[in-house]
Amino acid sequence: MKMNEELGMRNEEWKIGGKTLSSRLLIGSALYPSPANMEDAIKTSGSQIVTVALRRQAAGEGGGNQFWDIIKSMGIEVLPNTAGSHSAKEAITTAQMAREVFGTNWVKLEVIGDQYNLQPDPFETVKAAEILIKEGFEVFPYTTDDLVVAKRLADVGCKILMPWGSPIGSGRGLMNPSNLTAIRKQFPDLQLIVDAGIGKPSDATQAMELGYDGVLLNSAIALAQDPVKMANAFRYAIDAGRLGYESGTMQEREFASPSTPTVGTPFWHQFA
Amino acid sequence: MKDYTMIKVSVNGELKELNEDLNIKEMIVELGYKKEGFAVAVNTTFIAIKTYEDTIIKEGDTIDILAPVQGG
Repeated sequence: MKMNEELGMRNEEWKIGGKTLSSRLLIGSALYPSPANMEDAIKTSGSQIVTVALRRQAAGEGGGNQFWDIIKSMGIEVLPNTAGSHSAKEAITTAQMAREVFGTNWVKLEVIGDQYNLQPDPFETVKAAEILIKEGFEVFPYTTDDLVVAKRLADVGCKILMPWGSPIGSGRGLMNPSNLTAIRKQFPDLQLIVDAGIGKPSDATQAMELGYDGVLLNSAIALAQDPVKMANAFRYAIDAGRLGYESGTMQEREFASPSTPTVGTPFWHQFA
Repeated sequence: MKDYTMIKVSVNGELKELNEDLNIKEMIVELGYKKEGFAVAVNTTFIAIKTYEDTIIKEGDTIDILAPVQGG
């Protein structure tokens, strides 16, 4: 294993969407206190994939697009999302527009089915994924932790699945680790990313300990009191979780078992 | 001399009046957009840059012009 000497962090490579990366953190670009803070936080996180979006632009906006200029200057992979889409048609059109603007065939497919908890619409997501894959997109589908939906997405050709931890922006962590584990076990060869709901660094560690290949988050860093420091925390958290998974955690036991040797224990109640 | 007729379209949710028979490239100029950094959809269908000049805006069209923003 190679180590990043400067930060003492892991620098082991992995592959996703045809790219070889070292960081397993995918980071969002929204909700930071300022563009400069966003840039610092992304850099500190070590993330090599940043999510971006498309929205209506007014005519004649002077001064260019500061946000996009910053992201471009960072030289990291962009993952455009289809946020705000409520149908396969809307998501497909957004993905096609994003491919032209951002110059990537990657797309975070997000089709919302419920406005209250922003739960993805599984039916429209699968429909859109199938069409986008045929059009040459590398689809990163945002989905629930439903095993059958995951199966349908895999059936239409998704190589990456992004089940939620909990609803977008909720910060509630992993609501259903056993469902996430089931997806991991069923799809050992797919790239699995926990997307959405991460609140604390320990949530990201937990996702990585479950054997997930990465974690995508935004609010947990951007809405922290100190986003840059929190970005550093998540960097360590994800590495810790991955190392833990690779190391093979011990088996849980029902009862206590002393770790200090009992042989030679002083004052032992030998006559008890 | 051609008698120009105006058509009504929706551009990013706002009602606009444009000369009829404009293609996308001409519409972009008329609306005051720059040359790049955005993508266009007409009636929720993506229009690639290479087809701008072949796509004529019609009365009642709904046009979306989207540019990069922050996203999660």
